[in-house]
Amino acid sequence: MNGQLDGVFGVVALLILLTLGVPIGVAMGLVGMAGLALLVGLEPAVIKSGVVLFETFTRYELGVLPLFLFMAHVCFSAGASRDFFDAAARLFGHRRGGLALASIGGCAGFGAVSGSSLATAATIGLIGLPEMRKRGYSDALATGSIAAGGTLGSLTPPSGALIVYGILAEQSIGKLFTAAIIPVVTQTLFYMITIVLLCHWRPSIAPPSRKASWPERRSALLRVSDLAALVVIVLGGIAIGWFTPTEAASVGATLSLALCAWRRKLNLATLRAALAETLKTTGMIYVVIVGALIFSVFMSFTGLADQVATLMNGLQGGRWAVIIAMTLLLLLLGSVLDGLAMMLLVTPILLPIVHGLGLSPIWFGIFLVRTMEIGFVHPPIGINLYVIQGIAKDVPLTRIFKGVLPFLAADFFHLSLIIAVPSLVLALPDWLS
Amino acid sequence: MAELERDAITLPPQRGPLFYLGAIGLVVLMVVGTLAVLGRHVGRPFLGAIEIIQAAILLMACASVVIATISEAHAAVHLLTDRLAAKPKHSLAKLAAFLSAIFFIGLTVGGVWLAMDYWHAHEESEVLHIPFRPLRALTALTMASIACVYLYRTFRSSLSHKPASDRQ
Repeated sequence: MNGQLDGVFGVVALLILLTLGVPIGVAMGLVGMAGLALLVGLEPAVIKSGVVLFETFTRYELGVLPLFLFMAHVCFSAGASRDFFDAAARLFGHRRGGLALASIGGCAGFGAVSGSSLATAATIGLIGLPEMRKRGYSDALATGSIAAGGTLGSLTPPSGALIVYGILAEQSIGKLFTAAIIPVVTQTLFYMITIVLLCHWRPSIAPPSRKASWPERRSALLRVSDLAALVVIVLGGIAIGWFTPTEAASVGATLSLALCAWRRKLNLATLRAALAETLKTTGMIYVVIVGALIFSVFMSFTGLADQVATLMNGLQGGRWAVIIAMTLLLLLLGSVLDGLAMMLLVTPILLPIVHGLGLSPIWFGIFLVRTMEIGFVHPPIGINLYVIQGIAKDVPLTRIFKGVLPFLAADFFHLSLIIAVPSLVLALPDWLS
Repeated sequence: MAELERDAITLPPQRGPLFYLGAIGLVVLMVVGTLAVLGRHVGRPFLGAIEIIQAAILLMACASVVIATISEAHAAVHLLTDRLAAKPKHSLAKLAAFLSAIFFIGLTVGGVWLAMDYWHAHEESEVLHIPFRPLRALTALTMASIACVYLYRTFRSSLSHKPASDRQ
């Protein structure tokens, strides 16, 4: 019981440190190191931390993260975000709500090269928002669709969140990427249906625009064909086993450089900026991963996860009650913690429960990231709302939130579907394996 | 990831030894990974590619962690700190820097301890015999450098630049 109590104190201490603004990786590592020192002694705690550090810094699988980040930065320099939006706008722009649909399509497309919610919301927002407002779209629909669409970047492979989860939970990153494909497609469809329903209900919020001619559409589609081919090669290669995720990331980064050069957008300044941004973000993530792994070792020593698993298994209603309890816990934590912090905190605690219930850790990874995404668009954290407000400064936050509400309802419906039908997540990796 | 990307908005250094060290690691990682795939598919496997990749990852990781520290880019939760007045915010930034220093000192000690333990074991990789000594030494040196950066931030009389929590 003592160890479990230490575990509880550890979690409380971690939450306090996070609230005080201590960097996430440092807070987790420090609590983990101090907890291990209390449980097994200072010397083993320090040595174990040193082992975790060196193993993380030489971990082959972790090469995937900086390479995909680099690929995203290079693709951004090549104009990927604008091209994805333009192609979708030419296809759907003439319909009521067409530009909002195009924003969702653009977010899904750019998410497949960026793997980040914020980057997707910010880049598509910069292009799509002014366009929609110019064409008389309501502010709520314009901002809400991009804030919600941006969350697609977190789940769309090569998702940074899935990579971090894969490392922490020791799960195949390739399988996680494959498992995310159907949920991403259905999430995109859900958002599009939401827009269609909203426009059907109140046509004035999204007036139709001029219809693009077929040659215009063809040229826009041709412009994204190289980017689409890059995405298909990288993700398809992982799915059918041509290469490991790290190799796929290497090939993707090399091809993205070639693509950027082909489009005559590659120069020394672009390359330097892409490298510098990649290194900076990589450094942040490595510290977070080292800290989370040390914290995870501490958690396994305390036995807290087993205790929580026993408690959860004792819930009336069996497996469903546990899943609902986990969902509520994650949504609650997601409303006060940053998505990454939440994921790092709960993975070592909830994963043994997932194993105990006989649930797939791959399914849990998708479920966790999907829950995390919801936190991006609801207050008080709702980081995507702030990003969109940064772009459309004259739109009050309350109106952006009002715009997001219908998409939030679609999110909850989609999350329920993932819970009720796990094969939505597991079918594709099972079939491909 | 949002927090991470949010902080990535500020521009990191694009020159200097750290940048070049990290960039070399990243480019080696990319090139060797691509050559390994090509080699395998044309029937000329790139033996030892994984060992080179691991060394490159370490090189890049060490440089990138220092770059992120110097750029004050480590991810943090801003729920409380954003709502505070300048003085308590400043104090919390110092506390965070002090705790970060302690953490990285712990990692330095762990790194040095392991390096000393394995120093005479002459560890090396299996295929290409890449020695682990310099890799372990570099890791410990990196942690020590970061600890120094945080100690400096803790004990200097006033923070002359904005703390990380200020950058939104």
